[in-house]
Amino acid sequence: MSTIQDFSGYNPTWCPGCGDWGIGIAIKQAFVQLGLDPSSVAVVFGIGCSGNMNDFLNAYAIHSLHGRAIPNAIGIKLANHKMPVVAIVGDGDCYGEGGNHLIHACRGNHDITVIVHDNGVYGLTTGQVAPTASKGFKSKSTPSGIIEIPINPLSLIITNGATFAAQSFAGDVNHVVAMIKAGIEHKGFSLINILQPCVTFNKVNTYQYYLQRVYKLSEDYKKTDLKTALLKSLEMNEEKFPLGIVYETDRPSYTDQMPQLEKKTLVEKERFSDFETLMKDFM
Amino acid sequence: MTTGLVFSKIATRLGYHIFDYIEYPSLIRGGHNTYEVHVANFEIDHLKPTIDVLVCLNKETFDKHSHRLTKDSVVVYDEEDFKVEGDYKKVSVPFKKILSDLKGQNVMKNTIALGASLAVVGAEIDELLKVIKEQFAKKGESIVAINKQFAQAGFDQVKKNYPQLNKWLIKKDKVEPGLVLSGNEAFSLGTVISDCRFYCAYPMTPSSSVLTVLASWQNKNNMVVRHAEDEISVINTALGASFAGVRSTVGTSGGGFALMVEAVSLAGITEIPIVVFLAQRPGPATGMPTWTEQGDLLFTVHSGHGEFPKIVLAPGDQEEMIKLTGKAFNLADVYQLPVIVMSDMYLSEGHKSVSKKFVDDFIKNYKVNRGKLLKEISNVKSQMSNPKLKSENFLRYKITEDGVSPRLIPGVPGYFYQANSYEHVEDGHTTEDTKYRKDQVDKRAKKWATYLKQDFKLPEFYGDKQAKVIFVSWGSNKGAILEAQKQLNDKGTKTGFWHFTHLYPLEREKVANLFKKEIKYVLVENNSWGQFGKLLAMEVGIEIENKILKYDGRPITTEEIIKQL
Repeated sequence: MSTIQDFSGYNPTWCPGCGDWGIGIAIKQAFVQLGLDPSSVAVVFGIGCSGNMNDFLNAYAIHSLHGRAIPNAIGIKLANHKMPVVAIVGDGDCYGEGGNHLIHACRGNHDITVIVHDNGVYGLTTGQVAPTASKGFKSKSTPSGIIEIPINPLSLIITNGATFAAQSFAGDVNHVVAMIKAGIEHKGFSLINILQPCVTFNKVNTYQYYLQRVYKLSEDYKKTDLKTALLKSLEMNEEKFPLGIVYETDRPSYTDQMPQLEKKTLVEKERFSDFETLMKDFM
Repeated sequence: MTTGLVFSKIATRLGYHIFDYIEYPSLIRGGHNTYEVHVANFEIDHLKPTIDVLVCLNKETFDKHSHRLTKDSVVVYDEEDFKVEGDYKKVSVPFKKILSDLKGQNVMKNTIALGASLAVVGAEIDELLKVIKEQFAKKGESIVAINKQFAQAGFDQVKKNYPQLNKWLIKKDKVEPGLVLSGNEAFSLGTVISDCRFYCAYPMTPSSSVLTVLASWQNKNNMVVRHAEDEISVINTALGASFAGVRSTVGTSGGGFALMVEAVSLAGITEIPIVVFLAQRPGPATGMPTWTEQGDLLFTVHSGHGEFPKIVLAPGDQEEMIKLTGKAFNLADVYQLPVIVMSDMYLSEGHKSVSKKFVDDFIKNYKVNRGKLLKEISNVKSQMSNPKLKSENFLRYKITEDGVSPRLIPGVPGYFYQANSYEHVEDGHTTEDTKYRKDQVDKRAKKWATYLKQDFKLPEFYGDKQAKVIFVSWGSNKGAILEAQKQLNDKGTKTGFWHFTHLYPLEREKVANLFKKEIKYVLVENNSWGQFGKLLAMEVGIEIENKILKYDGRPITTEEIIKQL
């Protein structure tokens, strides 16, 4: 049985009060509760304050490029589909730079879990707007207020084939733990959008702001119904933030549909040697 | 285009050597398409200036290619369609009549033409009937029979009306089995032989057939092939798979590679092995998608931001493609860096008959060398102790004599590490410390030094050691240069030829020593800058003044080399 300590690397360098602290603890807690240890899980970090968790969390990991964590994670899964694969990314990372990868990971239902730190700003580059910032948000890159409307992550992924879409709030660590566990246990593409205050660069989306606008989905909420889930996810457009599993459905994952991976993982397989069969094509 | 390929296969089955080349515009249907097959008794890898048999399915074909005909050339055409003027051996085949008599669709013209062509060159029709059976077996007996009927009709027409034609393609008594391989197919076969298990790509001419060939083999060889959403995803997926312990490769052309270079740099610092197959076409931007050029050399050797080692290889023909692909995977694993295998449309899409024995021997002798990859805990323990560090973490980026550090397949119990895109200390954690930064830069650079000592190969020399004129070239120009040397030699001009395959990095001293003051060196390249010449100047300090450069989208020919010498 592993402990939180086993997963703890360097001491985090996040700003005091940053939502990342809560998410960081929740990830380790979820891993421990799932019976994982640093040798049995693969994690890919994007670039940003969230990605800086690479030094604070022990695991087989890639600290990737900005926006590219998802394809790295898909590659690990294709090579070793028995290993849980988690991508830890930011909102600019996943919804901006890597937006194309996100859409297609949903379509493929790749069995990876994407944990998005959604704080509405680019913290590491000192506070420019992120794709999730509310319209009119003033930042160093949008001094007159951002012209675009925010991306709606949950409706985006639901409509493109994600089989698990959840939302959580960094101020409620237990809830974050529960969502991450459910996401990793879900077979197929899962994403947890975690609302997270940036205490240094975002003076709008504060703890107080979220506490007034988040609410937990009720016990009788029908998470398997696509239309209900879409309507629920659209509430974000009116600054209402449902917390919980907004949508979950069953569809075979990408690797489940590959006959060549039925018995063994790609990395475990014996070397192929019947070259005669292939050479017939050329004779 | 498969019609020409069938002719190449039949000639190979009859015991001959072939080299072929296709020309087609960037269109789905229509436009002027040609398939040129050069057949010989000996191994060849070049095209002929003249055409012995021109099969015209329309008048445009005759008009566009009649300048390459001689009075001995055979022109196959349908006199009901158009008239052929001039002094040639004219063979009229009633394509239109056969189609209407046998109620065939226009596409069956190809099958008639194949039958007729075999009769023109004096071959029997058996092999063609066999190929038809093999190709259409899945579609049922009736489809096989229909196709055979059209082939036979074309064949019979020529036999009946032109009984005294050539006896060129008679089956040889001894036939050594051969494979008709395009460069892309040679690469595909090479990847499987090398135990590469993951291929990822986004379609891009002229690399696309690697994707389609490997995808079609998946259920036979258990490889995983992913057609990803863009080339950025392509290479990052492959890096993820490689990190997880699987030999991985990607394929593309220049524009796709431009999208990949960010991750080439990622592979550089994380030291994740990756093989990139780059089939060039004329750029810039979309350029001329279905034509050929060697315009991406300098871009490739300098691809990726920051300073990190990579290796660039370039085969000159199909056999070299197989050999260098095998070597590329071993180099990527041994030195834990990106290895780029460069091709071009001419090599990628043209076919050459390759002796099956050559491939069988290569398979038999190929050793998978995964370098310092550790799969077992017992292997890991010996790598763990480093008195300088208190940490018991796995030292993924351990400072070593040869610059290469042990690598661990994720999942080995009791350990973990991160492949870090940030500068890092030996155990992979991020650092901005001046000493550690310098240590890691030096460590990565040492991999190059080790490669140059252990695995770099000087160019192959062809021709006369005493020659006063020496060609310097790389890649698919090889065939045309070898033939030019032969023809020049016949006229009494002795030449030499340095054929480079290990393009980057170059061993400065050894390469410089190849060049002598009193010799006239002639650089031959399929681009307008003389890019390999620039690389030689930059890396080795050698300037070559005489250049034969071609950059109209077509491959360089023997005649052009001789003429410009």
